[in-house]
Amino acid sequence: MNLPPESGTVFVVDDDASFLKSVSRLLRAAGCSVQAFDSAEAFLEQLGPGMSGCVLVDLQMPGSNGLELQEALAKSANPLPVVFLSAQGDIPTTVQAMRRGAEDFLTKLSPKEKLLDAVGRALARGAEERKERGRLEELRGRFGGLTARELEVLEHVVRGKLNKQIACDLGINERTVKLHRTNLTRRLQVQSVAELTRLVEEAGLFKRGKAE
Amino acid sequence: MIFNESKDVPGNIMLEQAVRAEMQKAVTNRIEFLAEYLDASHFSDKEHFRLFQDYLGKKYAGQKLDLILAFPSRDYRLAGELPDALFPDVPVVFVAINEMEVPEAISKLGVTGIVQRFDIRGTLGLIMRLQPDTRRVVVIGGISGMDRATLGRIAEASQALEGVEFDFWTNRPVAELPGAVKVLPEGTVVLLSTVISDVNGQTFYMSQLAQTLAPAASVPVYVLGGWVLGSGVVGGSVVNSEDLGARAAQLALRVLGGADPEKVPIEVATKGTPTVDWRALQRWGIKESRVPAGGVIRYRPETLWEQHRDLILILLAVFLGQAVTIGGLLAQRQQRRRAEAEILNQRTELAHATRVSTMGQLASALAHELNQPLGAILRNAEAAEIFLQKEKPNLEEIRTILEDIRKDDQRAGSVIDRMRSLLKKHSLESKPLDLGGLLAETVTLAQADAHARRVNLTLQMPAQLPAVRGDRVHLQQVVLNLILNGVDAMAGGTEAGRLLTVRAETARDGSVEVAVSDCGTGIPPDKAKRLFEPFFTTKPDGMGMGLAISQTIIEAHGGKIWAENNAARGAVFKFTLPANDN
Repeated sequence: MNLPPESGTVFVVDDDASFLKSVSRLLRAAGCSVQAFDSAEAFLEQLGPGMSGCVLVDLQMPGSNGLELQEALAKSANPLPVVFLSAQGDIPTTVQAMRRGAEDFLTKLSPKEKLLDAVGRALARGAEERKERGRLEELRGRFGGLTARELEVLEHVVRGKLNKQIACDLGINERTVKLHRTNLTRRLQVQSVAELTRLVEEAGLFKRGKAE
Repeated sequence: MIFNESKDVPGNIMLEQAVRAEMQKAVTNRIEFLAEYLDASHFSDKEHFRLFQDYLGKKYAGQKLDLILAFPSRDYRLAGELPDALFPDVPVVFVAINEMEVPEAISKLGVTGIVQRFDIRGTLGLIMRLQPDTRRVVVIGGISGMDRATLGRIAEASQALEGVEFDFWTNRPVAELPGAVKVLPEGTVVLLSTVISDVNGQTFYMSQLAQTLAPAASVPVYVLGGWVLGSGVVGGSVVNSEDLGARAAQLALRVLGGADPEKVPIEVATKGTPTVDWRALQRWGIKESRVPAGGVIRYRPETLWEQHRDLILILLAVFLGQAVTIGGLLAQRQQRRRAEAEILNQRTELAHATRVSTMGQLASALAHELNQPLGAILRNAEAAEIFLQKEKPNLEEIRTILEDIRKDDQRAGSVIDRMRSLLKKHSLESKPLDLGGLLAETVTLAQADAHARRVNLTLQMPAQLPAVRGDRVHLQQVVLNLILNGVDAMAGGTEAGRLLTVRAETARDGSVEVAVSDCGTGIPPDKAKRLFEPFFTTKPDGMGMGLAISQTIIEAHGGKIWAENNAARGAVFKFTLPANDN
């Protein structure tokens, strides 16, 4: 398995010390960066926004089990992809885990190819999602720099309204509208209304306004 | 109520009942009716009348009577002379059956009444209607003036009937008539008129004539008076006794109410109703359907329905009740069958479930416990492989890995040991056990499953088996497991050959030997040795734990379990349990 170094860490969570050690060893041997935790709680305590990679977790553990970890992770600011391992999985649990977006569900006796493949996919997905999240954050940051009035004008612009209409709607001077637009495009670093619209869409802005 | 004739004249009975009913209907307080019968047709001499009158006089002396209802026939002394002499202050109402016979003087006696006029046309019409082939009507009448008047009316009415010959027999003594009517030819009918006096001067009542002639006649006999009906005559268009009685009652009520009888005119009842005797219709083969609409058929035996209406209704109710009950029971039975099928189904499932549960629970726990160290061993081995692929393998690392693998292997072994000791020490009960009962119960439990898969499952054992000790639930699991294995083993064979026998017997050393013998494909020699190993299975979806656990259980009981092939076909699994010597 050849993984780019920036693909992140595999966070292995298992209460069985022996298995935790062996699977971590295997993953390291395969070239992964690995961090081992002996319980879901220990991992969630450490979880921070800067952590990238994926989680390989044992389904059955005392305390919080794998499904609970998955749930907590999904709610967090850093929803890393999850691969489940289980000594013995049953169908309902598997279905539940997969529905909640688990990358894969493997038994502890699955061959290493299957395991490494699943981990590889989870890391790739994690990196992709992280990249996406970063871009979204950056975008939102850009929009966050706008004043309330500029946001109002922006909303009208992306709905295709003319300066005259915007001025009328907001009860301001048409020249003031033009000024706001200039400031907008400058701060958002866009060249055209089309690009502006695409950015707004990507950032998920004004969704409610559109539905009106 | 004073009647001219006897109590037995059918018309009189109806008349009397009708009068009573009608009067009682109109008055709220009870009316007491007293009836006397002169019986003039049997006792016609003057002496008899005198005795009758004396008798009534003595009988009712001092009695308060409100009204005399006289039913005179011919002799109007009943309506006049007699009440006049005995009960001068009591008003009299009479009911007369032949208008012709009412003496003119009667109205002068200060009495009123109702008389009926014979509906001669109607009667002739009825004759032609019932017997259209009639060619000749023999009219029997008397020679008195009143007789002649009636006969005159008949003759007059006969003019309307073309092609029918009327033969008036008036000059024959009545005594001769029974012989004469016996030989009348077909196509003839007899019509009875009145015989107040025959050629010999004898008097006959119409009821007498009817009773004498009708049964003897070779042809149907018709009459003019309704009260004669029932004596064998066919009938006639007659004034309805009920109607006549009702009208007489109305009249009586008026008089009782204070009306002066002298001023109440005598009523004439003329409306004839075609009335026939059903029995006579039968005798002469006249169809009931010929009776005109509105006609009355008397003496028809009630239909079963009419006769036994209540009984039939009760029976129907009973049948209905029974039907409902039977229906209910059937529904109940069906419900029960469904429930039984459900139970059978559940039992089948239970058989599976129990096997899966105890065995499955054990197997599942075992698998989980084993998979942890086995997984670790696998991962370590895989890691070692990767390390070894490197140009300069880190041997120290590999040594650590091998160390870990060994530890996990020991751990896996200890899991199995723990499981066995768990079975041996803690979860096994040792109680006196009825092995025969246990086998029977288990076979019953498995029977549904066996039956569903068309396996003939039988149990063979002696009446007495040595007592054993053990854990009932676990031993049942073993037997059930062996049976279901046997059933599985025969899944591919022909239906006829699917025999599974559970046999129990006392072995030579006093222990009990149980054998479960199937007719399947038998055990392949290369697999015989591994049968009882954990995770060894020959079934595609098998867990490979059943026989391993069975062995653990049997050995924990101090017994042995083994398998061999039958001489003919299939395999036999046997286990022994030591006898309980205590």
